[in-house]
Amino acid sequence: MRNRGRLGAVGLAVGALLLSACSSGGGGGGGNGNEPPKGPDKNRADNYSLGTKADSTGPAPEVPGSKKGGTVNVLQRDAFTYLDPAQIYYADQLTVQMLYNRSLTSYKIDEKGQVKLVGDLATDTGKVSDGGKTWTYTLKDNLKFEDGTPITSADVRQAVERLYAPWATDGPLYIPQWLSGEGQEFRKALPDGPYKGKHLPASVLDTPDEKTIVFHFQQPHADTPYAVAMPNIGAVPAKGGKDTGKNYNTRPVSSGPYKIETLKAGKQLTLVRNENWDPDSDPIRHQYPDRFDIRFGVQEPDSGRRLLADRGSDKNAMSFSNAVTIEVGPSVKNDAGTTSRTFNEVQPYVDYMAINMRRIKDKKVREALAYALPNGQILGQLGGPNAGQIAGNLLAPSLAGWKDSDPFGKKAKPNGDPVKARALLKEAGKEGQEIVYAYPNTTEYQKISVVVAQALDKAGFTVQKKEIDSNNYSTEISKVNKKIDIHRASWGADWPVGSTVVPPLFHGRGVADGGQNYWLLKDAGVDAEIDRIKGITDVKTASGEWVELSEEILTEHVPGVPIFYNRQWSIWGSGLGGVKYHSVYGTTDPTGVFVK
Amino acid sequence: MWRRFKRDRAGVVSAYVVIFFFAAALLAPVISWLYGKNPYTTYGIERPGLLNEFFYPAKPNGGIDSEFWFGLEPGLGRDVFTQLFYGMRTSLMIATATTVLCVVTGILIGVTAGYLGGRTDYFLGRFIDLLLAFPSQLSFVAFTPVVYALFVSPEKETPTYLRVITLIIVMWALGWMGLARILRGQVLSLREREFVEAAKVTGASPWRIIRKELLPNLWTPLLVQSTLMLPTFVTVEAGLSFLGVGIIEPTPDWGRMFAAGARHYENDITYMFFPGIAMVIFVVAFNLLGDSVRDAFDPKTKR
Amino acid sequence: MLRFLVRRSLGALVIIFLICAITFFLFFALPSEPALLACGKNCGDPALIEQINRNLGLHEPVPVQFWHYVVGIFAGRDMEVGNCPAPCLGYSFNDSQPVWETILDRYPTTLSLAFGGAAVFLVTGVAIGMIAAARRGTATDKFFSSLSLIGNSLQIYFIGVIAMWLFVDTWGVFDRPEYFPLTENPAKWFGGMLLPWLVLSIIFIANYSRMTRSQMIEQLNEEHVRTARAKGMSGRTVFFRYAWRGAIAPIVTIVGIDLGSLFGGAMITEFTFTLHGLGRLAVNSVTENDLPMLMGVMLFSCTAIVIANIVVDALYAYIDPRVRLS
Repeated sequence: MRNRGRLGAVGLAVGALLLSACSSGGGGGGGNGNEPPKGPDKNRADNYSLGTKADSTGPAPEVPGSKKGGTVNVLQRDAFTYLDPAQIYYADQLTVQMLYNRSLTSYKIDEKGQVKLVGDLATDTGKVSDGGKTWTYTLKDNLKFEDGTPITSADVRQAVERLYAPWATDGPLYIPQWLSGEGQEFRKALPDGPYKGKHLPASVLDTPDEKTIVFHFQQPHADTPYAVAMPNIGAVPAKGGKDTGKNYNTRPVSSGPYKIETLKAGKQLTLVRNENWDPDSDPIRHQYPDRFDIRFGVQEPDSGRRLLADRGSDKNAMSFSNAVTIEVGPSVKNDAGTTSRTFNEVQPYVDYMAINMRRIKDKKVREALAYALPNGQILGQLGGPNAGQIAGNLLAPSLAGWKDSDPFGKKAKPNGDPVKARALLKEAGKEGQEIVYAYPNTTEYQKISVVVAQALDKAGFTVQKKEIDSNNYSTEISKVNKKIDIHRASWGADWPVGSTVVPPLFHGRGVADGGQNYWLLKDAGVDAEIDRIKGITDVKTASGEWVELSEEILTEHVPGVPIFYNRQWSIWGSGLGGVKYHSVYGTTDPTGVFVK
Repeated sequence: MWRRFKRDRAGVVSAYVVIFFFAAALLAPVISWLYGKNPYTTYGIERPGLLNEFFYPAKPNGGIDSEFWFGLEPGLGRDVFTQLFYGMRTSLMIATATTVLCVVTGILIGVTAGYLGGRTDYFLGRFIDLLLAFPSQLSFVAFTPVVYALFVSPEKETPTYLRVITLIIVMWALGWMGLARILRGQVLSLREREFVEAAKVTGASPWRIIRKELLPNLWTPLLVQSTLMLPTFVTVEAGLSFLGVGIIEPTPDWGRMFAAGARHYENDITYMFFPGIAMVIFVVAFNLLGDSVRDAFDPKTKR
Repeated sequence: MLRFLVRRSLGALVIIFLICAITFFLFFALPSEPALLACGKNCGDPALIEQINRNLGLHEPVPVQFWHYVVGIFAGRDMEVGNCPAPCLGYSFNDSQPVWETILDRYPTTLSLAFGGAAVFLVTGVAIGMIAAARRGTATDKFFSSLSLIGNSLQIYFIGVIAMWLFVDTWGVFDRPEYFPLTENPAKWFGGMLLPWLVLSIIFIANYSRMTRSQMIEQLNEEHVRTARAKGMSGRTVFFRYAWRGAIAPIVTIVGIDLGSLFGGAMITEFTFTLHGLGRLAVNSVTENDLPMLMGVMLFSCTAIVIANIVVDALYAYIDPRVRLS
């Protein structure tokens, strides 16, 4: 999934034009504190597990103190581009779809932050056969769409087959690619999607009865339970002409506890109770408030300030993905009354400084870069330890089997190690090496460019800073022939296993314009290793191997430098209860929220 | 005229203030040399203890002390005192250059259109309409990157002077039409007046009529508009660097400082205070000066 | 008059066409690729990019695309999303909503903001200017001049948020700014827009008070005004009938320019007060490389500006009979 929080903030800085209120003469606290906020870390790998059939049975355990009724106001910075589950990939939209869309499996998160993957529409996380190639799911009883029609296997087939239509380009495409072929090959299996009366053959996607769906993949895929938790592997009405293809986006049919009442594109979305949702079938969601009133266009400092002020209708307000930013951060932290209505958690997103391996061919130079970069100072321009945690390796701590390692000593020396870097550079005979450093032209990244250039300068590099119009930044950095040596890149895992990080980022296949192999790493050994681990049918074994491979890539190839793991700092109004962190999406989970 | 100006006390004070600002901007390197700091060193990052965990100045009042007279910048921890003077230098230079360009273009086009009238007026008028019809803010945001792309090779760092020139061009291209229109309107009504007609009858050349009869009567709108224009360009430039198309780090910039100060004022009001107050004083003084000069120029003004 | 209007309207059409063309072609001069914003994590696949470009109609040569765009405005066109009836401005690249309808949805907010703000700054600015002119050289004059100038030197993103903090969050004397349709609830509409109007007008007032002041002083010294006074007319009559009439023309000119630009959306004001007008739409269309939306907003705002200009020129002739419409 992708994080619109900070990645989006790279967009036009108008958001940053806006500021927040309250005032003080500055001051407070001493030292460049780099201590992360206290509290148990809810984003650790051992918190994740696969649930059993019992875990998958509804209803969800009552939230203590919960009450029915009321309206929850939601303040969001960006309008949701997509409501159609087929197209959703961004964290904010992944969060809202939980309210009106159910997938075959979903993440169940308890108040301690333990995450279990459980059956959602399906009775469990799937039965595997045929050496990992065939996965069978059975639908629960009493599942209905918002109009009362029962959800059958045909509706799940519809959801999958519509991903073959030419417009379905923005969402995750794991399942269709696993069923019918890599890249865009799969679309040839059903060029018009299900809209012209054609379907995938039963040997690929089978619905032997109303309740059973069978996936016949071309290769074994141990990750299937996670892949069918993506929102587009759910149910879309196959009958009744409700699925209008691309236009379904404006009015998707609900299978969850809420349904869409009105959508004013770009401005407002209201969700109301779906009376045809059966709580006994749902192990995750509740239906406490009468409605959700979601407003778009509220900049982060503004939402932070409003939620901190806690007045009027903002008492019952929250945000899925707006974070507490540097403008209000100190006030929130200094106000003891807010501790019960905030959290600050590590997200599954990692910020890197990618190194262009086609241009910086000498590994010693890349190592010198890794030692020289001032992670702590970079993070400082974004809000310091409250906005992120200095990263030692390529994978986020939430990934299964994650190990804490720090080959370049970034945690010990958050301001970089210019001495060591200089020595390495000298060893390579590349003193004064020119580095073209590209960054998006926003307020924050301009400042970051200052600390980066300064640190590299100290280590003996000659830096050419190259600002890129923030609208075109992602285009520019993902060109294969980019005239850039280092640049910022970011990645989030789709599910907490290394298979959604290592292959897309480091397989040679990703070296393409628009691809995510930002470092242009093309190494036969790495590719072979990736292909080997992909074939492992046990998730747990595979997870460990991914972690090891990522470690090997970092130390053997140094394709980039991990900078920090993002943190989500959220605040909500005092009138709401049951707000918790969704560690897989890195956002605030609305499924148990109630109005006090 | 000079004597009349000297009698206007507010005008004289404003003049001193404006001169002070321009002098301070010009002398920024000298000031920073005397003061012993520079606007580029990130003191706060280099010396632990100066910034807190949010990278705001750790000491109260924005980190003001005997060493950093105006405190430290949040985030990078640079010295505000020298940043401000160097920033004024950048901003005033850009604003002055743009104003001069706009005034010259405005006079040329406005007077030509108004005086010649007819077809020339029609086409110049439509050209002005065309440019005026561009929503200016949106055009700045959408088109400035295109201008930068014209200038810059994709590999090298964009030199600061190119950014400055681009900014001046962009602000100039959409900045001169207001003045031109006003001048055109004035000339349009002036040219029907008796004294212009009289000059025409006596066979004066158009150039002479423009110079001797029209321009003296245009001083008022010209001065009022250009004294409003210069400080406006200072603030427009601030907005532009904020929209990501202006002068970028590490070149100090007054407008950007004010914008950043406004953003951080909740936690570090001191940081907003210096560039903000300086800008208010400058804008007010510059405008009052304009008023006084206008009064002094205008022979009809009674005092 | 009719001839003037017809002629100017034709000229306006040419201007609008030129601006559209310039915007369209400049968009493609940018090193951006809209398709990359619609491919999620699948962007590394050239086949997919090609597919998206075909979906968005970007696979054709730019002039051909422009031709389709222009034809669509008058005749409608069939698009990948479905038929788009005239006036067809296409569908947003970003959220596939019809551009025309989105703009119609946002325009009332922009109009309310522009007219309300203009009313405030015009009344206040002209009043201050006239007082200052009447009391020329006194402390009152200097006080008002300085006050409006201080307002002018501040920025909306600064005063706006301070005002919100004080008047909405702390004292609660204003409603939280929000747009309600005028036709549904005029009281709420007024309450929701009042603070944005006031803040928006602050940066404009100085312009008007200064212009008014200097023009009034100028006019008071004109022969005909002095003659009127010499004839024994009351100071009030002279001030409002003679001097004011002469001073109004340049003010009308700036009102035209300012209103025109406000009709194109007040970006910073809209962001500061979380209003959904054309300005926000414009900024988003730029950040998202959303060509149809950018074109739509450009078209709307430049049309508004052009119309405002024609009106100003017509008024000019009405106010100052010496100016002949041509």
